[in-house]
Amino acid sequence: MFAKESGLLQGTAELLILKTLSWGPMHGYGIATWIESATKDVLSVEEGSLYPALYRMTHKGWIRAQWRVTENNRRAKYYQLTAEGRRQFREQSSGWQRFAAAVSLAVNSRTAPSWAK
Amino acid sequence: MMPNNEPTDARDAQVVPKKPAAEVDSELAFHLEQRVQANIARGMTPEDARRAALERFGDLSGVRAECTELLAADRRAEARRDWFGDLAQDVRFAVRGALRTPVFSVLVTVTLMLGIGANAAVFGTVKSVLLNPLPYADAGRLVRIFCPYRSQGVIRGALSAGTISDVRERQHSFESLAAFLPVRDAIYSADEPTIVKSMFVEPQLFRTLGVVPVRGTAFRDEDAEHDTTTAVMISYGAWQRFFGGSDETIGKTIRFNGIGRTIIGVLPRNFVPPENEVDFYQPLSTRLFMRDPIGVRGSHSFGFVGRLKPGVTVEGADRELNGIGAELEQLYAKDNLGIGLSAMSLRDAMVGDTRTPLLILLASAGLVLIIMCANLAGALLSRTMSRRKEFAVRVALGAGRERLVRQLLTESILYALAGGAAGLVLASLALRLVRTLAAASLPSYASLSLDVTAVIVMAAVALLAGLAFGVGPSLAAGRGDPQRTLRDESRGTSEGRRTRHARGVLVAGQIALCVSLLAGAALLGRSLWAIMNSPLGFQTHQLLTLSLQLPNAKYPTADSRVAVHDRIEEALHAVPGVQNVAFTSQLPTKVTNSNGLFIENAPWAPNQPVPFILTVRATDDYYKTLSIPVRQGRAFSTVDRGDAPPAIIINDAMAAKFWPKGDALGARVHIGPPNPNQPWFTVVGIVGNVRNDPTKLVPEPMMFLSQRQEPFGDNILIRTSGEPTALTAGVRKAIATVDPSLPMYNLAKLDDVVGTTFAPQKLPVVLMTAFGALALLIASVGVYAMFATLAAAREREFGVRIALGATRGGIAGLVVRQGGLWMLVGLAAGGIGVAFVGRLLRGQLFGIPELDPIAIGASVLILAVCAGLALLVPIRRAARVDPITVLR
Repeated sequence: MFAKESGLLQGTAELLILKTLSWGPMHGYGIATWIESATKDVLSVEEGSLYPALYRMTHKGWIRAQWRVTENNRRAKYYQLTAEGRRQFREQSSGWQRFAAAVSLAVNSRTAPSWAK
Repeated sequence: MMPNNEPTDARDAQVVPKKPAAEVDSELAFHLEQRVQANIARGMTPEDARRAALERFGDLSGVRAECTELLAADRRAEARRDWFGDLAQDVRFAVRGALRTPVFSVLVTVTLMLGIGANAAVFGTVKSVLLNPLPYADAGRLVRIFCPYRSQGVIRGALSAGTISDVRERQHSFESLAAFLPVRDAIYSADEPTIVKSMFVEPQLFRTLGVVPVRGTAFRDEDAEHDTTTAVMISYGAWQRFFGGSDETIGKTIRFNGIGRTIIGVLPRNFVPPENEVDFYQPLSTRLFMRDPIGVRGSHSFGFVGRLKPGVTVEGADRELNGIGAELEQLYAKDNLGIGLSAMSLRDAMVGDTRTPLLILLASAGLVLIIMCANLAGALLSRTMSRRKEFAVRVALGAGRERLVRQLLTESILYALAGGAAGLVLASLALRLVRTLAAASLPSYASLSLDVTAVIVMAAVALLAGLAFGVGPSLAAGRGDPQRTLRDESRGTSEGRRTRHARGVLVAGQIALCVSLLAGAALLGRSLWAIMNSPLGFQTHQLLTLSLQLPNAKYPTADSRVAVHDRIEEALHAVPGVQNVAFTSQLPTKVTNSNGLFIENAPWAPNQPVPFILTVRATDDYYKTLSIPVRQGRAFSTVDRGDAPPAIIINDAMAAKFWPKGDALGARVHIGPPNPNQPWFTVVGIVGNVRNDPTKLVPEPMMFLSQRQEPFGDNILIRTSGEPTALTAGVRKAIATVDPSLPMYNLAKLDDVVGTTFAPQKLPVVLMTAFGALALLIASVGVYAMFATLAAAREREFGVRIALGATRGGIAGLVVRQGGLWMLVGLAAGGIGVAFVGRLLRGQLFGIPELDPIAIGASVLILAVCAGLALLVPIRRAARVDPITVLR
């Protein structure tokens, strides 16, 4: 999903995880499925690469983990945002939007440069 | 995992986190299972579902390894954070606890300061004397060579020029050897003549020691070959003192012993010669001494050092020298009979007799530290007992027992470090004192300061002490049963059998060690008392002494010296307050010169070594001045001058030893190296015994030659009618009227001069007595604390007993019996310690047996009295218990 070949930057992965967890605590599988469905299965390859990202974010203190019981009475490791994680999410999502808007503005531009023949 | 405050499912809350690998595995397993189930739900077969799930997951083992690594690193960091967090909390608690009981804390810290301070001071001394490197290159290969004089009991005797040359020809152990002569006074004349210490050394001495001058050059071999050589080398101290450390000193011509000489080199700052301290070095050639046919083997005055060839041991060199010595003894029986050859590491030679006293002091300081630890352990145990409620509450609230133990250990270590820091300050002050008190009796290379290593060692000792006295009480606190402590109120203040025993053992141990230490101090004290109080044989009061140095250049002949001595004596008699005046070669108790004795018509048997007798040159009034009685015959008089038959006076001990039939008077003897051309000396008088070596309580044989016939040595003794120092100015002036250029030095009261003779004996006594007193104080406090706690714990019971009709005497007896038992145990164990101490001190005791009953009895008595006093308060308190107050 976030492996190097997928071409997605690590920062993007973290932003997507933060976004997922902004809905509430969730385990790794749940995060993976939500990202896949939210991105219409564009990012459905190599789910495993999600986990190192989760561990790094735990280390950075953006999220914290806790073992809980699922609705089906199974034990799973749930992640949730910390205060710092919520702050990161706000910053990174607005940053992303500015970035994406800027890129799309350029890509969709119809005004030709002066040197264009 | 991070601690969590969010609502959780309590049933599943994980108490102990799994190992990182296991946690990662179960997390990834959950993911795969979920995916497999989802695939099956979409209609795949289980096998396909599994394969698809794995495929979609990607590099399972890679992810697993990466996650495990990340989690493990996180866990480690967290453990570290916890450890430091706990430590910070422990330290905070400990500081708060210490501040809550300021008196207790100050007492503990002061005790530690004294204990660790004493140890640091002694360790600093021991280290600089026994452990610090000598100021030479590769000093482990340096050896001092001595001639043991078996018949005299002398181990470190000097060598003759002949023996030095013989050793050089025969030895194979050394790569280089160098001889030197003992330090002597010399005159350095700058603006006015100054007396300095000088030493003749062979040019290769500095090469042998591996020392290079910091300025200029060392002697060249040819510097020593000519009698006319003028090269001198100076010490760093002399360079600073006389020449201000100027670089222009090298090549400078100075007046030294009346002759112009050239300074060619300055030695390094920390350099000291193999014995004493020296300002000026002059080149020496033993070859010049080989020309004297009688002195070549008969006169023993050289020191000798060598550098071992690589691979040769000191023992090996010693064996070789023993062999050479035996050979020389046969070859030159006339001179060498009874004289051997031996090697000793230069370190041992320089440390000399100070090793044993230093080690004894180190052991004593160690004992004080152990007593102190036992005492503090007892004190902390009491404190732990009185804080049992607090600990029980904390355990009940979920504090782990290890945390409790750890916190108490932190407390004791904190005390130890505070006490240790204060102790180091105390020690550096104490070392300053030791330097002034003992510098003369310690080797000159010893710096007597606390360096970094010493501070580190003492910090480690403090830490160990903190652990030693903290571990017992901490474990006791961890052991208690919180429920019972909290429920049963009365038990909260009483102490269990186990802690009572622990405390008893601690007190008994303190008493045992304290008795040993006190006995050691008392034995040394008694020995010192015996040394100082056995009569010297002469009067030291109202005597002024000073030394002159007659330059050879100005007074070359015996006659010229006698003449100036006569004139000085006359001038001194004219000073008001002067009663008697005498010249002597060496002051009383400072005589080192010995000569061989040969009695007319009673030659020594071939296998009998020649006896060496202490020899003093004295003027006519010597005995009158020092109040030494003339028993038979006469003192020297105007008859004993110049060419008159040489006279000799002997003391009682010598008369009794060599003329047991009482026919000493009129006997004729030869002294010194046997010389057939020497005239016979006639015994003209027998005088009372005079002690010379302070450790020899039985006076040694001694003989006196007339200073007017052998005018060597310019020490003056002046008996005064009042305070000797009041005459200083008059005496100086009188001497200056005879010859204003004569340097005068060592002006002192004879009382003080003799006092310095006892200094090496005094230091161990002073220090060990101080340690003993310290131990006594600490142990007394320990006894007091034990009885006080014991009595307090049973206060209720005593109240009941009194209410039921027990007498107050009976109650007091109860307390005494309970604690007295431990004191008896301690005293009994102390008996073993005393026997051990007596054995250890055997070589240091003079005039008393090693188990002197007075010393040992006194130390037991002192301890018993102090312990008794310490008992008094708690016993009175126990006996005065008011049943009504206690029971209510």
